[in-house]
Order: sequence, then structure tokens, then C-alpha cells
Amino acid sequence: MTTETDEESGHYVSREPFDPRSIEQIAAGQESYFLASRRRLIWWKLKRHRLAVWCGFILLLMYGSVLISEWIAPYYYQTRNSGAIYSPPQRIHLFHQGEFIGPFVYGHDFQLNMENLQREYVPNPDKVEKLRFFCSGDPYRFWNAIPMDFHFICPAEGKTMYLLGTDRLGRDLFSRIVYGARISLLIGLGGIAVSLFLGLLLGGIAGYFGGWADSLIQRMTEIIRSFPELPLWMSLSAILPVTWSPLLVFFGITVILGMLDWTGLARAVRSKLLALREEDYTVAARLMGASSGRIIRRHLLPGFSSHIIASATLSIPGMILGETALSFLGLGLRPPITSWGVLLNEAQNINVVALYPWLILPVVPVIVIILAFNFFGDGLRDAADPYK
Amino acid sequence: MKSVLLRLVPTLLALAWGSGHAALDSPFLASRVASGELPVLAERLPEEPAVAELHGDSSAGKHGGTMRLIFGASKDIRMMMVYGYARLVGYNRELELTPDILRDFEVEDDRVFTFHIRRGHRWSDGEPFTSEDFRYFWEDVASNEDLYPFGPPNELMVDGKRPRFEVLDRWTVRYTWDAPNPFLLPALAGPRPLFIYAPAHYLKQFHADYNEPEKMAAKVDEAGTRNWAGLHTRHNHPYRFDNINLPVLQPWINTTEMPAERFVFVRNPYYHRVDAAGLQLPYIDQVTIQITSSSLVSAKTASGESDLQGRHLNLEDYTFLKQGESRGNYRVRLWENGYGSQYALYPNMNSNDPTWRALTRQSDFRRALSLGTDRGEINQVIYSGLAREAGNSVLPGCSLYREEYAKKWAEYDPDRANAMLDALGLDQRDAKGTRLMADGRPLEIILHTAGEGTQETDILELIGESWAKLGIKLFTRPSQREVFRERVFSGEAMMAMFNGIDNGMPTADMSPGEFAPTAQTQYQWPVWGQYHETNQKVGEPPELETARDLLDLYKLWSLSGNRDERAEIWHQMLSIYSDEVFSIGLVCGVPQPIVVNTRLMNVPEQGTYSWEPTSFFGIYRPDTFWFQ
Repeated sequence: MTTETDEESGHYVSREPFDPRSIEQIAAGQESYFLASRRRLIWWKLKRHRLAVWCGFILLLMYGSVLISEWIAPYYYQTRNSGAIYSPPQRIHLFHQGEFIGPFVYGHDFQLNMENLQREYVPNPDKVEKLRFFCSGDPYRFWNAIPMDFHFICPAEGKTMYLLGTDRLGRDLFSRIVYGARISLLIGLGGIAVSLFLGLLLGGIAGYFGGWADSLIQRMTEIIRSFPELPLWMSLSAILPVTWSPLLVFFGITVILGMLDWTGLARAVRSKLLALREEDYTVAARLMGASSGRIIRRHLLPGFSSHIIASATLSIPGMILGETALSFLGLGLRPPITSWGVLLNEAQNINVVALYPWLILPVVPVIVIILAFNFFGDGLRDAADPYK
Repeated sequence: MKSVLLRLVPTLLALAWGSGHAALDSPFLASRVASGELPVLAERLPEEPAVAELHGDSSAGKHGGTMRLIFGASKDIRMMMVYGYARLVGYNRELELTPDILRDFEVEDDRVFTFHIRRGHRWSDGEPFTSEDFRYFWEDVASNEDLYPFGPPNELMVDGKRPRFEVLDRWTVRYTWDAPNPFLLPALAGPRPLFIYAPAHYLKQFHADYNEPEKMAAKVDEAGTRNWAGLHTRHNHPYRFDNINLPVLQPWINTTEMPAERFVFVRNPYYHRVDAAGLQLPYIDQVTIQITSSSLVSAKTASGESDLQGRHLNLEDYTFLKQGESRGNYRVRLWENGYGSQYALYPNMNSNDPTWRALTRQSDFRRALSLGTDRGEINQVIYSGLAREAGNSVLPGCSLYREEYAKKWAEYDPDRANAMLDALGLDQRDAKGTRLMADGRPLEIILHTAGEGTQETDILELIGESWAKLGIKLFTRPSQREVFRERVFSGEAMMAMFNGIDNGMPTADMSPGEFAPTAQTQYQWPVWGQYHETNQKVGEPPELETARDLLDLYKLWSLSGNRDERAEIWHQMLSIYSDEVFSIGLVCGVPQPIVVNTRLMNVPEQGTYSWEPTSFFGIYRPDTFWFQ
């Protein structure tokens, strides 16, 4: 590098043409990193969180299944089979006596043990019942509207296939879990939508305008937060009229869950706004005469949207657990509507634990979805502030 | 010959006590006898104690042991009054009335009842039990306007008239009515007996007539009751066992104050029954009662925490209980349930909803509901096909049983049911296919249950499906028993589900009151029942002719002194009740699991488990059960 002293000023002046990379060479990848948009950065950071990615994938699968529950479930969720009450799960086999015949189940021989009145099902190796795929089975109304009878998988004609066993009325547990997912998962999304709307609105008002509006909303938040959650849920859901259709009850529960959950979100929004509105760029925008709406939308919202999404994701499992808890206590959704909580409610019985343990299986999807949401939310939260 | 022998028994027993009474007394009381706190056995027993007769399968036992029971609520300790089954007169296993606390009783024309008390019989605190206790109850309690503002108990009134009560001597009392009173003896022998005696020596301290007004006022003040009557009543709930100071005549007496999670009952040292060898009963020294949530009873029983359990167990627990037999050292027996129907549906004819009320009062509507109920499926799905599909009536094996009562309107015939509903003017339907009532509202029935388990809701789900084929929508609302009752009584509930009639094995001498509007707890006509129950003071008279007919027949029965005539009236009532389907019975004869500790002897292999007439275990005499 050639530098020489400027005669007049006495400063060193480089006569070389300016090269910004003269100090540190930046690789091509690095350049794209520095120039990448915020959204892209979040995505990159999230991608590095392997667990979060897997969990996101699971969530995608589960929520995807909700769209086509009717096709996935081999039975309609209310189909009863009086001949298969408390039938244990039937295993899928591929080989029969060493010979490959594709997926099939062994038919069950049923007998009532008169000694202890137990219903005994024994797989009969002579009854090879090949499963059918892309078949027609139990009729249903797709999305409660279009009459169809298509299923991805069905038992052999006139035979049974209970992958996770049946309950005390002879209903297929697997189908009920699949249908239950629709309610349990949507209630989380619905509840968070209500909560997000209220949280953004009230938190936004409190944070941006401050003053008496802030105080009012803060006190309201404190009062709501000071109620013990479960009893409040319970009393609110107890007043839902019994004649409401199951669908209406479902919306009622969603709104109840959302209405009590917005406080945390509102606080987060408020504190974030309080910080951001003092930032120089906000002050600059205000001095330049931008309207409140524009400042909130263009300057503040992008500043905390990722954070909000992350914390919303983290509170969905709370909603799902809330519904499960309510239904488990018999105060939430009521049969014939089926959610995982309803299924667990029906399994809270010593006989189930001792004799029909497969009926506790709805716990598994609950655990999976809760963990998935938590890990995914964790990853999202880490990724939400990519400049850190 | 027999009478000579009978007269000899007390003499022989007296000789036996003279020689070695120590061996006849329970060692449990030995220290208290030794310290002089209790007199020796011979002085504690009546001069002529009741001698327990042992049945073929039972054996003479020995003293000792603690029997553990589990109940679902602390107020259930009143079951000890049911199980204990010391009654003035009680049923034996053939359901005949025999004297028990009483030495003997004489009845003339069902009008004049003479009761002979055992000489030397004592209350559990050692005070003599005499005709004074009957007099005190009749004159100072039942006839006192503060204590019984509506007059004496119904069973003591005939045509609204009181009996003439006489004390013949210290050991004899007599009640005389002008007309027959067939209710008295069954009421004395019932699971919740009518108490026509009270421990006068104890209760007088709470009675205004026996205390100076100032002292009484001070006591009332101290207790915080509204008046002296409240104070007296609070201390005199013999059925509830909630006052540990109240002297009783039962085999076991409570020693634990309410509220508690665990109650200890100990043997009554003055109990009046002995076995053939002269051992004072009960054989078992103590009964401990654990209070837990009723849903945990089967789990606790299976782990061997109960020695005798039937309450809160049902058929669906059988497999599980059977599995735990060896681990829990017990055996499960299947007794027969004595309900007229395991569960029955009661359309509330006193509902607040005028349209619905009018509908339920139409016989054909009730019949159609019954015809449209698929009982066969309920039996198969819920009871593994072990029950019998029938209406809510008396059971086979009962002398009054006729097949038509059980079968009437009880077959499954949805087509006929639909036709009947159409004929009732319910032929309009909404878009979803639900029938419309006269005022245009859809026929949606909200059915209230007092259900604790899933069994009732499962049954209702099955019924809901079969009623959907009739164009009727069914919603279920489970609630706690008190709330449930309140909703039915107030007319808020349209329909209720509860046990069928309690006494499925009546004899012609037992009251047919369950088949007529006589009590508020009859969920199809609570208001009419209340009217009768309160002597026309509260409620309304039956507005339905057939219900009135039943009530008239019931009154006719109560005036009849002739057994054949009573049976004839019974049949008329059963026939009307079945034909009118006042309650929709589902299935009956459901086996009831009874868990019995392997060491607990004398519990019969077969029995009827019912409130009435067997008082659950009562007529099988738990005071003769013993531990090997």
C-alpha cells in the first residue's frame, strides 16, 4: 500500500483507488448473508435448528392431516360395531407363513369368557384379511358437506381392521384420534387467532398511546391474570347452553380459551412497542409527519412481528392442553364431537388402565403435538432476532 | 313341643352365662368390663335376647376382627343403619316379617298393633329401652307441632287420622287405628326405617317441654339453631349416624364425628342378639369406613382395601375385580340386582314447559318412546347380554310377576313408534328431520341424569341413536344428584334417567306406592307425588286420569285387610302402570358384583342386592358375618 503525506495539510492520503475489501476479504456466501432480507435470515437461522425443522415438519403433517381426516381414517368416527367391543389393536402383517402377500391383518375370533366376563379376541392365523387401499368404505360427508365414501385404507370387505383397538362401544380408536385431531388442533389455532387479535389490539393501544389507555388496559390485564385459570375456564364452559350444537360449543370453547389468553401477548406487544417507539428511526418518522397508522405498520410492526409469531406459537400448546383438560373434566366438548380430550375423558377409568390400555393412546398425539410446538416455537424464537 | 323348647332356650342360655359368661363376651370389651366401666354380659343383654337363626350355608362364628368398607361420600355412613338392620320388626330371608328388636308383636285386623319390648333391653349407652321411649316419640316428638309441623309421619296416619297410643306397661305399647294400616310394619322393616321410638333419656335435654325456658334459650343460643326444634332435630337423626352421642340399638355404633375421611364403628355392648351358643352378636368388633371418590372404589376394592363391597361397583368392573381376586384376597360373587329396571327414563309430566308437558301426558307418546328404544342393543353392548330386556315393573321370581308387565310396549318396533308419533300430530319435521312440537319448536329432549360414570351416558348415546330414527333429538345433561333432583322437582328437567323401581321383589303385603304418585322422588310426577306426601299441603293433585286411578287403587290397597284382595289390586296397578308406560324401563336383572374377603364368612353366595326389600346386605344379617 502506498501512502504519502499531503504537503498542504500534513495528512496521510492514499493515492490508491478505494477498495472496500482491502481490509477483509468477504466470500461470495458472506456477501449474500449481509445483503439478505430479514425474512431470509430468519429462515436460514431456523434451518440450522435441526430439531425445530423436524418439529415444523411434524406440525405440517399433522395440520395437513386435518384437511383430509375423512380420507385417512378407515372408519367414520361414530361407526359402532357391537361385535367388536373392546377389541385390542390388530397388527398389520406383510408375510403369511413366510409368503409375502402385502399388508393384511389376522381376523379375530371373539368369545365372551363367562368366568370373568372378559371379551377375548384371539387372532386367527387362518383368517388372512388383506387390507384395501384407495377404497370405498364407511360413508361420510367430507368437511361436513360432500357425501363420499373414499378412504386411503380400508379393511377387507366385511372384515375389521382396528389398528389401535376399539372402545367400549366398538368404535375404532385410530379413526377417532384422526377425527379428534381436527378439533384439538383447530381449537389451538382458533384460540390463538382470538388471542392474537385481542393481544395486538389492546397491547398496541396500550404501548403506542400510553397514558390512561395504557393504565386501563394494564389493570384489566392484571385482573384477568389474577383469576385462577382452570376454575375460570370451567365456569365459563359450564354456562354454554346444552342445546348448542357441538360445532357451536366448539366455537364457544375456542373463544373462551382465546379470551383468557390474550393478556400475555398484550404485555409483550406493549413492552416491545414502548421500546421501539423511542427508537431514533421512529422519532425521525414522526418528525417527518408520518401518521400513527403508517408508523405502526411500516416501522414498528416489522420490528416485533417475528417475536409475536414465536410467542404465539409457544402458546398454542397451552390452548390444546386447555381444551384437553376441559374435555377431560367433562366440561369442554361433549360427545358426539370428538377431540383428544374427549377420548381421554372416556379413558379415565381404572378398568381401562388395567384391561384396555390402548384406550390411553390419545395421550401420544397430545404429547407429540405439544413437544413439536414447543421445540418449533423455541427455534422460531431464537431465529426471530437474526442479528443477535 | 316347639313352644316348650323356645321357652327353654332363654333358661338354657341363662345357665350358660352363669357358668362361663366371660367366654361369650367379645374380648374386645374385656378390658372395659374388667375396669368396671361396663357390666358383665349377662347384665347387658335383655332377659330374652334374640337368637340369630343361621341358614344352611352359614356357620357359627367367633368374635373379633375389623370389617373395612369403602363409601363414596361421608354421608353414606348412614348405610351402616341399612346394613346393621336392627329393626323393631324385620324381614327374614323369605321376606316374612319377624320380630327383632321387639320380643313379639300382635296385629289385629291390621288395625291394632301391640308391641312387646324385650325386658332388660338397653340402649347403646346402657340406659333401659322401654315403652317410655315410644311414648316420648309419639307424644313429645311426632305430635309436637314444632317438631312435626305437618303432623306425624305418613305411615302413622290413616285417612289423616292419628292412632290411639297406649302404654300398657313398661314393656308393652299399643297403636290402634279405626281402619287398617298396612304401611306400618313394612315401614319399620325398611332400609330407611320409620323410627317410632327415640332415646327419651338423652333427647329430653333438647326438648322445650322438659327444660326451663331460660335454660332452653341458652342452649339454643349456644348451638346457633333457629329454635329448640332445630336443636332437637339436629341431635335426633338416628338414620344418619351423624351424632355420636345419640344412643342407638344397632349392632355397631359410630365413634367418629363428622366430618371425617375415615369412620370407626365399634360393637354395641348392649346389642340384643346372640347366636345359638350364646355369643353376643355382632361377631365383628369394628367396622371402619373409608371415604373416597366413588370412581376409585373399584380400584381400591381390587387392591383388597374392602372386606365387603357392593356399593359403587357395577358389572363393567367385574373383569377387573376378578383379575385382582388372588392379589386382593377376596372373591367376587354375582348377586342379582333388585331394581325393577337397572335404569329407567322418566318423562317429567310436571315440566314447566307447557307444550312438552302436554306431550308427556299422552299415553301414546310415552309408548312410542318405549317402542323406539332398542333394548336388545343396550343389553348386548353395555351388559354383554347378561341382563333382561323389560319395562320397569316387578321381577320374575316375585309372586306378583306376570310376563305381560315386563313385555308390554317393551319390544323394539320403530315403525310402529313412528306411526304413533305421526298420529299424535307430530308429523311436521324440520330440515334436519327432527319432528316439530305443536308450537313449532323441534322435538329436542334434554335428559338429566345423576350419572357418575360413563355407563349412563353410553346407554343414552345408544338411546339417542335409536330415537334419532323417530325424529327425536336427545341431549344429555349429567349433574350431581342433589342438583339433578332439584331440577326435576322444579320442573326444569324435561326427562330424567334414574334407577327403576327400588323394590322389584314385592309381596302383596308390601306397599304398591312406587306405582302411584305418592312421593316427590318419583321423577315422572314429582309435584303430584309431593301433594300426596305432604297430605295435600304442597304440590298439586294428579291431573291425569290414569295417575288418579293408580292413586285410588293405592288407597284401596291401604284400606284392604285381605291378602287376596291386595294381590288383586297390585295386579291392577301393575297392569295400568305397564300399559301407560309411566316410566320407560330398559333392562333388569343386571348381575351385581359383590366383593367378599376370603376370610369373611356367612356372606351368602347368591342374593338379591337391592335397597328394598333386602336393605342391601341387611336381611342377610351382617351381624352374623365373621372373620375366620
